[in-house]
Amino acid sequence: MANALSDVQATFLSLDAQYNLLLAGCKTQAQRNALAAQYATAQQNYQSTLNATLTDNDAQVAALSTQLKAANAQVVRATAELGNISKVIDDITTAVSLGAQLVAMA
Amino acid sequence: MPSRVRSSVAIFQIRLAIAAVFLGCLTLIAGCKTSEDAAAAATQMSATAKSLSDYYAALSAILSDTDQIYSINEELYSKPYSTESRQELKTTQAELAKRITLATDLSTLAGNFAKLTSSSAPADVATAGNKLESEVDDLASYKASAGEQNAIKSALQLFVTAVQAHKEHEAAQAMDSLASGLSALFDKEAPSWKSVNDVYVQLAATLAGNLVDQNAVDNSAALKPALDPFGLTPSAPAPDLNTKLAPLAKQQISARQASLLNSYSNATDAMSKSLQEMSQRIHMVATDKPMAFRTPPVTVATVEQWATQVLSY
Repeated sequence: MANALSDVQATFLSLDAQYNLLLAGCKTQAQRNALAAQYATAQQNYQSTLNATLTDNDAQVAALSTQLKAANAQVVRATAELGNISKVIDDITTAVSLGAQLVAMA
Repeated sequence: MPSRVRSSVAIFQIRLAIAAVFLGCLTLIAGCKTSEDAAAAATQMSATAKSLSDYYAALSAILSDTDQIYSINEELYSKPYSTESRQELKTTQAELAKRITLATDLSTLAGNFAKLTSSSAPADVATAGNKLESEVDDLASYKASAGEQNAIKSALQLFVTAVQAHKEHEAAQAMDSLASGLSALFDKEAPSWKSVNDVYVQLAATLAGNLVDQNAVDNSAALKPALDPFGLTPSAPAPDLNTKLAPLAKQQISARQASLLNSYSNATDAMSKSLQEMSQRIHMVATDKPMAFRTPPVTVATVEQWATQVLSY
């Protein structure tokens, strides 16, 4: 069964663990701002989801949760490569946006 | 007063309160079972309830530490800690505080149990019971546990009604339902509280690792296995030695991280089993069945050990 809380949690913790590395890889202030904004959203998504305790058996939540798992895996892979910081931030944005959609369903 | 000291005082008060509740249960249950069974049930329930209060108090300390880590990360590494996130964390803290308040106010009800034989007892019990009902209603933000909360509320209503009518046997049966409801609520909310611990442990490990990388940590603690047997303590290491010891410090962080997650998991499993066992034993006494057990559930010791560990950081 999909676990929305653990998925949103994984996005936030993955970003927290890699944040300093990613920040060092940013070449422009715009990239740094984008990274910070995604971190703030990921953190808020997690804290909101914790309070809402999403219903796992909702089909839509389960589908989004599956997508979120895939997006998280992509972020982990992209972070390991760190070849293209813009691509990494795009991947993070995708994962965090999915998390925000999960929160909106709470 | 330091927050940890306040927490310890609060824990002590909650322990007393919950012990009083279940000693009150002894009075109640004694009316419908042998005194030996009732005494054993009260002892076991007291130990289990004490562990539950310690468990929630430890989680409260973990939430406070998470809040501090967020603030440290914002200052040191510019990781945003938004007003919205702060508010959400406060909401979680408030939810946990409600559960602690609920346990504390059970002590008022317990005090009234002891006065069951007096004429004013029914009114006192009703007042305390209604207050508890109101507090159960306040536990609303955890949607997934709404069913369990309703079960607890129904049991409280049944309990108050039974005590008002001096129907001790029915009151014991209501307490049976209440114990069952509390056990179900704990299990239902377990994933949320596990998440609180998991996030704290990983955030702390990441921050600790970053500080080691920045040479902001005295890594000489890694020398303890060599120095302790000889009663020696390391001096603050020179920068080059501290850097050489950094990998050992990182290993220690990883090992402790796994240990913290494991001990929490064990404590939660133990707490769940203790509550279930307590519920089953109350049910035996409330239904006039022989109760063979004379000691508290063995699992409560695991919970106590974890809570003591958390509160000693």
